[in-house]
Amino acid sequence: MMQWAPQVGLVMFVAMIVLMALRVPIAAAMFIPGLIGYGLMSDSATALNFLKGSAVARLTVYELSVIPLFLLMGQFATQGGLSRDLFKAAAALVGHVRGGLAMASVLSAGAFGAVCGSSVATSATITQVAYPEMRRHGYQGRLSTASLAAGGTLGILIPPSVPLVVYAILTEQNIAKLFAAAIIPGVLAMMGYLVVIGLYARARPEMAPLTPALPWSEKWAALLSIWPIAGVFVVVFGGIYGGYFSPTEGAGVGAVLTLLVGVAKKELKLTGMKAALLSTADTTAMVFMIFLGADMMNATLALTEMPKMVALWVSGLPVAPLGIVTAVLLLYIVLGCVMDELSMLLLTIPVIFPAVMALELWGLSYELKALWFGILVLMTVSFGLIAPPVGLNVYVVNSLARDVPMNETYRGLMPFLAWDMVRLVLLLMVPSLSLWLVGQLFTR
Amino acid sequence: MSSSMLLAPLCRAFGIVGAAVALATGFLTLVSVIMRAVWSQPIPGDVEMTQMGIAFAISMCLPYCQLQRGNIIVDFFTQSSSDGTRKRLDAIGNLSLVLLYGLLAWRTSIGAVSVREAGETTMIISLPMWWAYACLAPGLALAGWVALVQGLFAKTTSHSKVAA
Repeated sequence: MMQWAPQVGLVMFVAMIVLMALRVPIAAAMFIPGLIGYGLMSDSATALNFLKGSAVARLTVYELSVIPLFLLMGQFATQGGLSRDLFKAAAALVGHVRGGLAMASVLSAGAFGAVCGSSVATSATITQVAYPEMRRHGYQGRLSTASLAAGGTLGILIPPSVPLVVYAILTEQNIAKLFAAAIIPGVLAMMGYLVVIGLYARARPEMAPLTPALPWSEKWAALLSIWPIAGVFVVVFGGIYGGYFSPTEGAGVGAVLTLLVGVAKKELKLTGMKAALLSTADTTAMVFMIFLGADMMNATLALTEMPKMVALWVSGLPVAPLGIVTAVLLLYIVLGCVMDELSMLLLTIPVIFPAVMALELWGLSYELKALWFGILVLMTVSFGLIAPPVGLNVYVVNSLARDVPMNETYRGLMPFLAWDMVRLVLLLMVPSLSLWLVGQLFTR
Repeated sequence: MSSSMLLAPLCRAFGIVGAAVALATGFLTLVSVIMRAVWSQPIPGDVEMTQMGIAFAISMCLPYCQLQRGNIIVDFFTQSSSDGTRKRLDAIGNLSLVLLYGLLAWRTSIGAVSVREAGETTMIISLPMWWAYACLAPGLALAGWVALVQGLFAKTTSHSKVAA
């Protein structure tokens, strides 16, 4: 069977794509061809034997426990009304400048992103509090929904971040270092979005009417009200970077603290807790189902030695290494337009990562190259969340802001996407934007 | 279909238990971290308990996600297909998930039996390894049952979702 290995790999891959296009859930579309391929590469008894331990092997990975726990943390923050406090504080600070409420929605999304690892959850929770306010003050639909959808990507761009955790597991990188590498690019993203809104509102002042400034006493009161969420953030990230606990432990600590904050503020009641638990259950299962499917596919791909061949082929291409990385990122942007971004990572990273690591890039060491590439990949993921035709953040925001047509949101998003492209090029050309902070935080 | 009336609350109960067990491992971690900081002695076996707890938690979350049709599909290429076509494709999709859940439930249970016979335990506090296998079976089996009911009887279609 071994001499047919490349063919088996190829047929499996094509079968998977056909199944996906026919609406078979991605997990099954990877699992079934993967399993059949495994059987062909060995025999059916070996394949069935592999299945005995494969689910346990994946679900008991200690580092992966951060996914349900960071999801819980974000859900408790949502149900505990923390997003409302954040938006109020941001609006008190910048609400009176032109486009200020849209800026406040981006700022609060960024702050919320620091306790939430999911962009969809961030978009949803900030939209619920910010959209009615913007509407009440006469903001035009397009500017509001585009700011909310773009701001929502800060949920994953600013750590914690579920896609980064997945990347870290797949590439065996240190989660804390990846989070550190994401911080400056994440803040850069947020500041760029603020500039975009400022320019937008200046060019089209009718879209964002001015709102009166609050007296300083109220500004301070609003700012003080966010100390619980700021406290959770400081404990979790201070603990991780201060060396008191690992990111895995930080997720558990963060989830419990956020729960306690919500309960202490008397905002998190039994119904809210139930909603938080169920929503976490839904997303957790969704993520791990893709893992189970991708594991089966990747186990077989490894048997066919396809990843090795791809890496060999790529490194032999007569193209500059940076050109190859650019091509990979473009591929991710295109793929991200039609499929779920996390599934895309799970499916492609095992093949593409070794190929990229074999390239000589900016003279970086293996580890730094892996961190830097992770941040670039994360940018393409966030791009896919707001780019047409299937920008899931746009779906989420528009399902909550039903009076704005979806193509209006996409039109509004164009300048934000332009900034995303500029930022991607910046991060590609200047690796130290991602890596400088890692060097500062980890001196060993 | 009286069984589907019972199915929804059962899946919700599983989901709540699953997420609550994940939260419980969070409490365990918090206590362990504090003990380590104060008495430089963590809870023995905290990592092992977290691993097993989370594995159980995730498997318990599966049926609720299936009930919500939470599993991610690509609906880009079938946006212009008729409603009937999409329903039929979704039925096939759900049945293919039955295969995934069913195979994993069956094989993991077999795995539990053989690991139990081998008497494997975890490193520090000697938890029997077969627990980790056995505790996945109920969630996988219920999720499979839900997918089967959906595949055979459901009248609605799935939507695009994202896990990030």
